[in-house]
Amino acid sequence: MEIRDQIAIVTGGASGLGAATARHLAAQGARIAVLDINENLARQIADEVDGIAIPVDVANDTSVAAALATVRSRLGVARIVVNAAGTGIGRKIASSKGPHPLESFRRVVDINLTGTFDVCRLAANEMLALEPVTADGERGVFVNVASIFGFDGPVGNTAYAASKAGVIGMTLPMARDLAPYGIRVVTICPGVFDTPLARAETGDAGFQRILDLVPFPRRAGKPAEFAQLACHIVENSMLNGEVIRLDAAMRMGLMI
Amino acid sequence: MDIRGLTALITGGASGLGAGAARVLSEAGARCALLDRNVDLAREVAAEIDGLALACDVVDTASIETALAAASAELGVPRIVLNAAGIDVAIRTAGPKGPHSLAEFERVLRVNLTGTFNVARLAAQAMTAEPPLNEDGERGVIVNIASVVAEDGPIGQVAYAASKAGVQGMTLPMARDLAPFGIRVVTVAPGMFETPLASGIPQSWIDAIIPTVPFPRRWGNPLEFGALVRQICENPMLNGEMIRIDGAIRMGIEHS
Repeated sequence: MEIRDQIAIVTGGASGLGAATARHLAAQGARIAVLDINENLARQIADEVDGIAIPVDVANDTSVAAALATVRSRLGVARIVVNAAGTGIGRKIASSKGPHPLESFRRVVDINLTGTFDVCRLAANEMLALEPVTADGERGVFVNVASIFGFDGPVGNTAYAASKAGVIGMTLPMARDLAPYGIRVVTICPGVFDTPLARAETGDAGFQRILDLVPFPRRAGKPAEFAQLACHIVENSMLNGEVIRLDAAMRMGLMI
Repeated sequence: MDIRGLTALITGGASGLGAGAARVLSEAGARCALLDRNVDLAREVAAEIDGLALACDVVDTASIETALAAASAELGVPRIVLNAAGIDVAIRTAGPKGPHSLAEFERVLRVNLTGTFNVARLAAQAMTAEPPLNEDGERGVIVNIASVVAEDGPIGQVAYAASKAGVQGMTLPMARDLAPFGIRVVTVAPGMFETPLASGIPQSWIDAIIPTVPFPRRWGNPLEFGALVRQICENPMLNGEMIRIDGAIRMGIEHS
């Protein structure tokens, strides 16, 4: 599908992978709705890409429905949806600190997994009523963000790994559900990228230690490189129902 | 990696996926050496894209060495290698026709698996002696072709599935071996693409299989495959991964 002139929603679009994707999509001619819990940051990115900023808490279904309604009324129905909103927490399932709190597990799953699902179900429901834009009958595409933690979960990441493995697991059935409407679903599993979330989780020293374990290139991924793949997924109609690791060949062993 | 001006060595470059990728890479500014057993056909594609046609049989080490030397002398040491040479047979493991011919099994392995390995090892060796191309220290990229059959092997595809699963399995260790030299390795697993190899599939099977592609419900175009190969070349964070490009097809028991 051509990106030019399409409407794109990017959740978590105010920073990190989402912000870079908003910039790339805008550079290729999409009109962008930056959805983020941080409205001020969202406004900065929206101003930069000549898009609109909409506050949203993806864990709150009323907030998601309201944000999508705002996109629809101000820009129209989106054909490109990138689910980049996410959060993490470092905590072992049990340790001298006691058991992992159930509440924080639920919180991570609410945002990363249920939030992604909620945005997809509501956006897809609007998308399927649109006219197709290609000879294939294509109506739109979802790019979801999981993580290599969904496969290689390190210590202290049961909640994050469970939520991201959930996003990985949704990819194929969601693609199959939406195929009759010409809507594709592809998931990207980023490795270590230089984002506020990654730095907050590991601290600067931990971040550097992890980078020493990346085969090539031995550095943090640039959010623009994530955005480059996300844009390719939008453009390449044969990519569907697939989960793509974008991780410089990193696999997380026990050392992390 | 900026591919403009780089040499791309493409085995099986005279037709199908190899020729499709050659057209895309050439359009993006690469100089293509098309290696094929059918050098007349390779010449036709080479004439079209201003490339170089070279006779090569990937089961013959001397033939690979000769072609690699000729490509290097004429165009420069290849920094992009696409292993697209492949063959297929349809024979069941055992049945009324007797046991699967061991010679046929080994013939498929020698072309698809050992041939891919042989080209990769010789081309990688030549690349290691070249200067890096960018500040990451990148020297090149090897793109191998597996198949969705590696994961979803249909009936009568035991040799092809074994050979392609071998290519899939080589991806990560090869990427790790070559990471110190700044050489990436990525495998693409195509679904149903319109190629001469696919033209060997019985029409009744094709009539049954295309309707089982979720979306888009049609043959993949080799240029779509080529677009993904270009993205792999250009995106340095893609490494050690196998990417399915298949319109979300999974081959179930109905594909028998």
